[in-house]
Amino acid sequence: MDIFANLAHGFSVALSFENVLFALIGALIGTAIGVLPGIGPVATISLLLPITFGQPATTAIIMLAGIYYGAQYGGSTTAILLNLPGEVSAVVTTLEGYKMARNGRAGAALATAALGSFFAGSVATLVVAASGPVLTSVALSFGPADYFSLMLLGLIIAAVLAQGSVLKSIGMVVLGVALGLVGTDVQTGQQRFTFGIPELSDGISFVALAMGMFGIAEIILNLEKPEARSVLKTKVGNLWLTKEEWRRATPSVLRGTVLGSVLGILPGGGASLASFGSFMMERKISKGRHLFGQGAIEGVAGPESANNAAAQTSFIPLLTLGIPSNAVMALMVGALIIQGIQPGPRMVEAQPDLFWGLIASMWIGNVMLLVINLPMIGMWVKLLQVPYKFLYPAILVFCCIGAYSTNNNVFDVYTTIVFAVIGYMFSKLKMEPAPLLIGFVLGPMMEEHLRRAMLLSRGDPMVFIERPISASMLAIAAVALGAMALPNLRKGKEAAMAG
Amino acid sequence: MKLNAKDIASGLFLILVALVGLYINGGLLGFGLEQHALGSARRMGPGYMPMLVFWLQIALGTVVLLIGLANGPDPLEKWTGLEIGSLVLAAIAGGVVYAAAPYFGEFFTQTYNGLGLAMLVGFLVLCWAAGWRLLGYVCAAMAFFSLTLEKGGLMVALIGTIGIAALADPDHRARPLGVLGLTIFLLALCWWIFIKELDIRVAVWPVQY
Repeated sequence: MDIFANLAHGFSVALSFENVLFALIGALIGTAIGVLPGIGPVATISLLLPITFGQPATTAIIMLAGIYYGAQYGGSTTAILLNLPGEVSAVVTTLEGYKMARNGRAGAALATAALGSFFAGSVATLVVAASGPVLTSVALSFGPADYFSLMLLGLIIAAVLAQGSVLKSIGMVVLGVALGLVGTDVQTGQQRFTFGIPELSDGISFVALAMGMFGIAEIILNLEKPEARSVLKTKVGNLWLTKEEWRRATPSVLRGTVLGSVLGILPGGGASLASFGSFMMERKISKGRHLFGQGAIEGVAGPESANNAAAQTSFIPLLTLGIPSNAVMALMVGALIIQGIQPGPRMVEAQPDLFWGLIASMWIGNVMLLVINLPMIGMWVKLLQVPYKFLYPAILVFCCIGAYSTNNNVFDVYTTIVFAVIGYMFSKLKMEPAPLLIGFVLGPMMEEHLRRAMLLSRGDPMVFIERPISASMLAIAAVALGAMALPNLRKGKEAAMAG
Repeated sequence: MKLNAKDIASGLFLILVALVGLYINGGLLGFGLEQHALGSARRMGPGYMPMLVFWLQIALGTVVLLIGLANGPDPLEKWTGLEIGSLVLAAIAGGVVYAAAPYFGEFFTQTYNGLGLAMLVGFLVLCWAAGWRLLGYVCAAMAFFSLTLEKGGLMVALIGTIGIAALADPDHRARPLGVLGLTIFLLALCWWIFIKELDIRVAVWPVQY
């Protein structure tokens, strides 16, 4: 089989000393920021983007990916031990996980989370490996009109699934597309919206935008909230699960893995959506559903497996179609473009090292994370005692140096300040910055495909509904939008988002 | 009335940005500044996509605004007189400093240094009101960093940045020794990561004139 040869090649790439080292660094950083409330993967990855410029593309992506799925492991630790979600995707884990800890089963909850994540991660890695080449061959038959519709679908679903009002999120997507227009027009070379500033002719710096809106604005918001970090009172206890617990957790892990893998592939999906979805499902259909609220192991096993599976399968649309499905993937697109790689269906063929190396490294990373998280749990608990007042100056300083070193230009630091202020204002107005980031990344690609499609169709917009692929994408997008107009579904979404 | 002030403000913001964009683009009913060529649907010029995007944004902003008239109440945080006053004052101070910066010396005519000084002064003035202090100190710290980095070197820039940023936290203000320890730790850490390991192109110590 071809896939095994490719995987073997992937492992030979991923097992090189440098790649193993950076997978480990990524996993360690990911676990650390997962454990620490107040800093998430989006902020961290935008913070570390400039550092990856000097690395080979494969190594850079391996490390950044490790941060994303590492955060899924780490997030559960805080949720279980302190009733504080370290990550958004671990919010539901606090519900049953902390109850288990109060019952003296903290160790079992941690072990369930880690083992479930490991199993789900391994399966999801195989899903990525199997579906990647298939989807790629489909994607190669896409014309510009199909691409445009596919991106439109991705943007709309990202907006529909974002927190808060759908209309406002779509507004944010459009605003992001508008920001993406700044810079030199690719076809005519005309400067658009640059106000004569030479630094803007390459467009608004992606790093500055992401860092300002996610890194710096988050610091200010975290400082506004009084620090609510309770001292650890629960003991971790025995890490081994009882036979009864094994029996109850196994089906939940399996269900969570399947659900997470599917929700991860969806545009707009990702780890947090998957863990919410899995929690709702376990509460409805698992055998232990009557125990929910008293520390049911199903409520930890399902969501923790689902979020890790989704963190991995959300790479599928990125690697095969070049379309980011959530804010973290938008950052990955940024990282790839800065490395000179245009994400898209040709990536599997043109960059086999990157594609297969990343997949193999995901599995290696999961093995590392299991070791990092279970035997070394005490170390991460200690990390929780570092107060935020010592963390934020470090984050700030890293942002400053990072923004500067992207182009060795202070202009990027000033841009970061501007976006920090805008990001702060957005949070006060409950405007979601994540859809904006996706729009910003997809906007320039959409414009190019739109112009190409219209040129080919001689100015006839009907091309978007005459081509079957494009038409079905648009139909799905319309259904997704229409569904949100139904009050029942909207309430369901609000309930799921509120956990 | 159930006014959702947050939604109304968001809608207004979207509309305002789009109107400015259309004005620059030249698609605002014939008025415009840069006048990007629109082209035709078949051969789109550089102004076509911006025009589509901004009109869509105006439409969305209007809908968000209209719905916001009824789906509240979700009021904005109350602004005190001091907060409004310091915001106005900060804007004026920033503007004046920006206009006057070239007269302060040749340094402020180079690479956005005038802008940096204006930002630094503006954000520090903003800190007059307690409600703006976090935003003000964090942004002022970043402005100080970019203002001093190229001539003062990384170490000077970092010391100032950490010092200003520390003002944002009341604990740090009460215990300056802790800030000193933190500064020394971060200086060493940044030197190790960025200078020794990553070797970014930046002066570490003040540049000689």
